[in-house]
Amino acid sequence: MQDFLELAVSATASGCIYGLIALAYLLMIRPTGIINFAVGEWAMVAAFGGHLLLSRWEWTYALGMAAVVAFMMLVGWTTERVAVRPLVERGAPILAPILALLGVLVITREAISVSFPPDPMPVPFPFGIGRLEFAGIGGSYQTFFIIAVTLAVFIGAWLFFEKTLWGKSFEAVALNRRAAALMGINLSRVTALSFAGGAGAAGMAGLLVSPNISAHYLMGVPLAIQGFTALVIGGVGRVEGALLGGLLLAFAEQLTARYAPIPSGYTQGVPLLFLMIFLLARPTGLLKARA
Amino acid sequence: MIRVAAWVGGFVALAALPFFLGSYHNDVYRKLLLWITLALGYNFLFGICGQVAFSHFAFYGVGAYSVVILTFQAGLPLPVAILLGVVICVALALAVAIPSTRLEGFYLALVTLALAQLFIVVLNEGGNVTGGAGGIANYRLPLIFGWRLAGPPYTLVVVALLGATLAILWRLDHSWFGRACRAVRDNPEAAAAMGVDVVRTKVIVFTLTSTLAGIAGMVYAFVDNTVNPPIFGIDNAFLILFMVIVGGAGRHAGAAIGAILLFLLPFWLAPVVGHHHQLVFGVLMLAVILVQPKGLIGIWDRCRDRFSK
Repeated sequence: MQDFLELAVSATASGCIYGLIALAYLLMIRPTGIINFAVGEWAMVAAFGGHLLLSRWEWTYALGMAAVVAFMMLVGWTTERVAVRPLVERGAPILAPILALLGVLVITREAISVSFPPDPMPVPFPFGIGRLEFAGIGGSYQTFFIIAVTLAVFIGAWLFFEKTLWGKSFEAVALNRRAAALMGINLSRVTALSFAGGAGAAGMAGLLVSPNISAHYLMGVPLAIQGFTALVIGGVGRVEGALLGGLLLAFAEQLTARYAPIPSGYTQGVPLLFLMIFLLARPTGLLKARA
Repeated sequence: MIRVAAWVGGFVALAALPFFLGSYHNDVYRKLLLWITLALGYNFLFGICGQVAFSHFAFYGVGAYSVVILTFQAGLPLPVAILLGVVICVALALAVAIPSTRLEGFYLALVTLALAQLFIVVLNEGGNVTGGAGGIANYRLPLIFGWRLAGPPYTLVVVALLGATLAILWRLDHSWFGRACRAVRDNPEAAAAMGVDVVRTKVIVFTLTSTLAGIAGMVYAFVDNTVNPPIFGIDNAFLILFMVIVGGAGRHAGAAIGAILLFLLPFWLAPVVGHHHQLVFGVLMLAVILVQPKGLIGIWDRCRDRFSK
């Protein structure tokens, strides 16, 4: 039982990371229909940003974190300007920006691999290394930090979509682009913001996960796969779905790694299995979009 | 008639070339032909049928590993191993394509990305069966009717593979099936309204092109006489997509041009950028999408139009 509780806490933290990546996908897919596979690379860039600011230049954590997230939002905004908007304005098919973003993915990864040594780079823990325990549930400081930050991000995202006019305009664009444009919603501004927000969420995930796994230029693709699987499980319709999907996937992965008698590397197959099952049995995901 | 003669002449020239090349250039030449073969297959899936997948190179690996494992670990005769390898490729492709083509959207891209990633894990963790991180080496093509195929004559096998792949794809492209594929790419609703079974078309194209990649992999297995995980890494899955886009998606000639250019580019770029040619490829691919969506073949078409006027 103790073993299981320990596992549950760490799975929750991993699930939060997947949930943040899924949120990044969702922020961009909802208003634009564009799947941006580069979110994994964005998480990787943020991890390297953490390494640079926090490890090498030794900024205080809060300042470094704010700087990294702000920088990622700038990256997302720029990406939309350079690689997406020209294509959308030209009326190119939806495939064109998706392919352009794949180009961005490779450029991002290679730019990082040119700029940093190939070894995993350390990123510091915000509260050092230590354990927190209460009522039989225990985990490292970082685990609880991940859970707390993710909850804050999701509550923020939920409030944004439910309570603010900006959020409503996102929903309106998601439901019907043309009608939203006719209602006076600035489509290009919504698209730019969704990319900035997506990059911010992905960057947050990268920064949170990097103290445990170190910043490495190949860390992006697995995160991109896990995040998208979480999105398929939860459904693209609702923000909460992203978190739910992430948690389910993380529990399935960790339980497999812990209790199934197979080499631990094979847990990378769990997302694939989940994708297949959900695409066959419940392609709309667990949570339905509100009408 | 002249067309057929030109094609035959072209392939005779391709087949004669290896006998005038040294062993290093023979090796480069074979790999170039294999890349063209892969790009032609991927072009049919991506350029003609409009489906994005990242598993094309993984299937190349599945073909290579399965023929090696079945022949040398399981001790089966080569023809049986090849047939079983094809069966494995078809079964795997169907298992992937059937769930992921049911919906509109880019689920196939995601599922195949996960598959390509998992394939590398399986190769690394496969213990004695796959040889782990070191892969399998030190095997040789079994004698065929008492002949040992190696050196330039083996290059003929690669040329034959390219010819057969091109013939199959060309034939399909110019049949009703090719038109159905283009309809599925351009407007699935209209295609369905015209009586094309959209999902079945996607599944058939994915399975066919993946199996062709698998067969190319079987030929590759005896080019280097070694198979190991880094060869079949995820980088190459992107590279093949870039080849088709840069050359010109939807055109056989475009795919071939893209494959030749991106295969040879690293040789010229090496003094300038070292091993970081992927960065150049990414920039090139992004530039093509933004500036010239029809790829290099589109530029060629425009030049020809201008001069013929």
